[in-house]
Amino acid sequence: MFDIILRNLTQRKIRTGLTISGIGLGIFAVIVMGGMSENFNQTFEKSFSLTAEKIRVFSSVGVFGGGVTNSKVAEVRKVPGVEDAYGMLMAPLEEGGGMSFGGNQVTGIRPEKSQVALTPIKVKDGRFLMRGDRYVTVIGSSIATQYNIGVGDKLEIEDKNFTVVGVLEYTGSFFDANAAIPLDIAQDIYDMGDTVSLIFALPQEGVDGELLAKRIKLSVDGVDTLSPGELKKEAEQNLRIFSVITVSAAVLAALIGGLSVMNTMLMSVMERTKEFGILKALGAQQRDILLMTVGEASIMGLIGGLLGLASGWAVIYGMNLWLADQGIVLFLITPRLVAVAMLFAILLGTASGIYPAIRATRMSPMEALRYE
Amino acid sequence: MNDMRNNNDVGDISDIDDMSGDIILKTRDLKKTFMQGKIPVHALRGVDIDIKRSELVSIVGPSGSGKSTMLSIIGMLEKPTQGKVFIDNIEVTKAKNKDIPKLRREKIGFVFQHFNLLSVLSALGNVEIAMRFARVPKKKRMTRAKEVLTEMGLGDRLKHKPSELSGGEQQRVSIARALANRPAIILADEPTGEVDTKTRELIINILRRLSDHGQTVIIVTHDPWVAERTDRTIKLVDGKIEDLLK
Ligand SMILES: Nc1ncnc2c1ncn2[C@@H]1O[C@H](COP(=O)(O)OP(=O)(O)OP(=O)(O)O)[C@@H](O)[C@H]1O
Ligand SMILES: [Mg+2]
Repeated sequence: MFDIILRNLTQRKIRTGLTISGIGLGIFAVIVMGGMSENFNQTFEKSFSLTAEKIRVFSSVGVFGGGVTNSKVAEVRKVPGVEDAYGMLMAPLEEGGGMSFGGNQVTGIRPEKSQVALTPIKVKDGRFLMRGDRYVTVIGSSIATQYNIGVGDKLEIEDKNFTVVGVLEYTGSFFDANAAIPLDIAQDIYDMGDTVSLIFALPQEGVDGELLAKRIKLSVDGVDTLSPGELKKEAEQNLRIFSVITVSAAVLAALIGGLSVMNTMLMSVMERTKEFGILKALGAQQRDILLMTVGEASIMGLIGGLLGLASGWAVIYGMNLWLADQGIVLFLITPRLVAVAMLFAILLGTASGIYPAIRATRMSPMEALRYE
Repeated sequence: MNDMRNNNDVGDISDIDDMSGDIILKTRDLKKTFMQGKIPVHALRGVDIDIKRSELVSIVGPSGSGKSTMLSIIGMLEKPTQGKVFIDNIEVTKAKNKDIPKLRREKIGFVFQHFNLLSVLSALGNVEIAMRFARVPKKKRMTRAKEVLTEMGLGDRLKHKPSELSGGEQQRVSIARALANRPAIILADEPTGEVDTKTRELIINILRRLSDHGQTVIIVTHDPWVAERTDRTIKLVDGKIEDLLK
């Protein structure tokens, strides 16, 4: 039956081509949007797993609401169950870069805490910050790529030259786009007095992070906390919203492709009214005709899916290559994304073929044969 | 409801008929009424025919007299409003819908006026496809398709598409296709309606030869020249048989 399906498809080349392109475009959207969403998912997941056990403490006005003073760090550290606590001052590296996604970030941290703060990430080259460090920085792998710098090179932050003393390994997390500098220097160049954006608190071995977060909030004035669990929930919620938006946009595009398959199949079923009559006169069963029609639609779905996958992949590959210069990874193609996209393409084709196929089997053979 | 009793009576008589000869096709009180909106159109008004194995029969009659309807019902493309059809002593009008395609493949081969070949397939493909539905293995299908096409004198046209064949050649492909599954009966609706007189003769000779070799053939035709060359002519007028014997 397969050869007949193929012949029918190649018979009407332009129409088949257009329909397949329709599906292809939809799947292209699924791959590109999905690739973006998958990359976000993975970055969040990795970033989260790297800071999983840490409790975030910030001003009760909010993370971006002005920060907390250095003195709070000592208070947090005194809360029973806290192993260690350190403050961080965060600012965008590039001017006007904001804290938004894709921009690089500067983090001020007390040098002796830099290793704790970055663990379990290892330095690929050089070292972490050390007590007594001044205009030096430990940079993430994306920044190293983007600025094409390594240990010993200079990185300009707020018109000051910082010497790179360490480059971190690639993690696929936000740390890749981070430049760590000594906290006092950061407070100085950003003119932040003695405030930090955020305090990280490490629970002691065996202490429950959720409970400790509550305890910190109750014991230290004017702070709010985000426990690992809450952070995860919040992040996941944001991710879900993002995924729903991107994926539904893509699905919409693909559904339009599906409608074009249905339209094409309905047209070709109508055109082939007579052919189905002949096939029935030759002893074809309902299921032979069903198989032929649905098969045709499924194959259009399959080819469209492959086309969308290939073009999506090519575009993503190109984009990633282009963005790699800037140390940015924006898309990620995962096996599950490929599987979902292909399955979706085939199901879409098949589903769009079912109604026309039923129309085809319902035609009375005699009327079909009268049809001129 | 009294029609039902009528049918049973006819059924009893037909059992006796079975003894009398090698009857391959038998219809009893065949009626077909189409609804043209709310107006009933009586295409067949009670047709009884008996056709013997290996007979070459023609059905003639004015346009609209029910000839094509008759063939469609015998070929199980259409159900009668009333009456029975027996092919090879099987009451096909009693068959379940799902069994009909199989019965049709085994019992009936169609030849149409407009050839009705599939344009995307070659001559070979058109013949072979008929056997696909019968789930004949590919090798056998190919051998058989070549065999019947060669029999039709088309051994050198196997790979040609219908558009690359003459009318007579296309009609021979369609006869080959009808023969592929070795059906009990060939039903041909105006097989010479669209060909020239030379081809008409060729087609009739082929059908004649098939009949001589034991194939039952029923031809619907408007053409007296064709009817004359059959064993027997059945004339339908207004959905009824007017004159049974030639
Ligand atoms: N599907 C249908 N719906 C309604 N009326 C029909 C249908 N099929 C056939 N008829 C009617 O039944 C009658 C018999 O039609 P049929 O096609 O059997 O005639 P015919 O003898 O084959 O005519 P022709 O020589 O023109 O082919 C005609 O009046 C026709 O209009
Ligand atoms: Mg007719």
